[in-house]
Amino acid sequence: MSSLRSRTAQEISDLLDEYEIKHGPVVDSTRNLYERKLKEAMAKGRKAKPSPDKTYYREEEEVTYEYKTPVRSDGAGDSGSYMRSRPAWNEREFEHETSYSNYSRPKLEYGGQQFSDEPHMYDLPSTYKSSYLKTTPGPSKEAPKAPQSSRLVPLWVQFLFFVAVAVFLYLVFSSMETNEPIKGIE
Amino acid sequence: MSTTSQKHRDFVGEPMGDKSVMALSGIGEILGKKLEQQGFDKAFVVLGQFLLLKKDSDMFTEWLKDASGANSRQAGSCAQCLREWCDAFL
Repeated sequence: MSSLRSRTAQEISDLLDEYEIKHGPVVDSTRNLYERKLKEAMAKGRKAKPSPDKTYYREEEEVTYEYKTPVRSDGAGDSGSYMRSRPAWNEREFEHETSYSNYSRPKLEYGGQQFSDEPHMYDLPSTYKSSYLKTTPGPSKEAPKAPQSSRLVPLWVQFLFFVAVAVFLYLVFSSMETNEPIKGIE
Repeated sequence: MSTTSQKHRDFVGEPMGDKSVMALSGIGEILGKKLEQQGFDKAFVVLGQFLLLKKDSDMFTEWLKDASGANSRQAGSCAQCLREWCDAFL
């Protein structure tokens, strides 16, 4: 992690924007405060920051392509193995297929190396690919959490609930029908 | 505004002009001295900092706690004082 102090005011400002920290101009009197805020935000890993490493992106795009196909069949297990390596950072990112496109879009933003284990991140897609190709989820202890971090209520539960409400309404409607004939077609 | 102090009401009731930093609500002699040492010798300079932080109370209180050693109550009081002053005069 490069020192925040050595960055230009513009870079600090860009970093603050990436972490969605509302801020004013980065001047002498405000700089210390903003640096501290950034350190806190980085430590918490609040928002996923795109890496400036272009090589990483090339592999990332490949992984995106491969990752999209299996998600339909076995998303939870694979994301579990993936997340095992990057627990804090990508928990939100890798549940969503769409978030991949979000991830690879801001390519040119140089936000500085947030992660000291960035080489680890670099290795990740290749290890992920190999682990995926074998279709071995591995110790996916975070799998149960995986589908739920992005949605408060899983999608299938929502569908189920919707169907239940529809059935209930139908029953109510049909019980009303016992008293009077169907008028719907008028 | 029964929850605000007399100092607060005095400050917010008129343009601050050249008032000392100790005229700010929440800032007493000790905190005032610390601020003066850093160059914030007048209330309007602290106002300047408040405005630089885009009138964000949270940011400002954090800055003030760091710069002067104020506690949460004092910093919050100062922030509220400045915010209301801005609402009235800025």
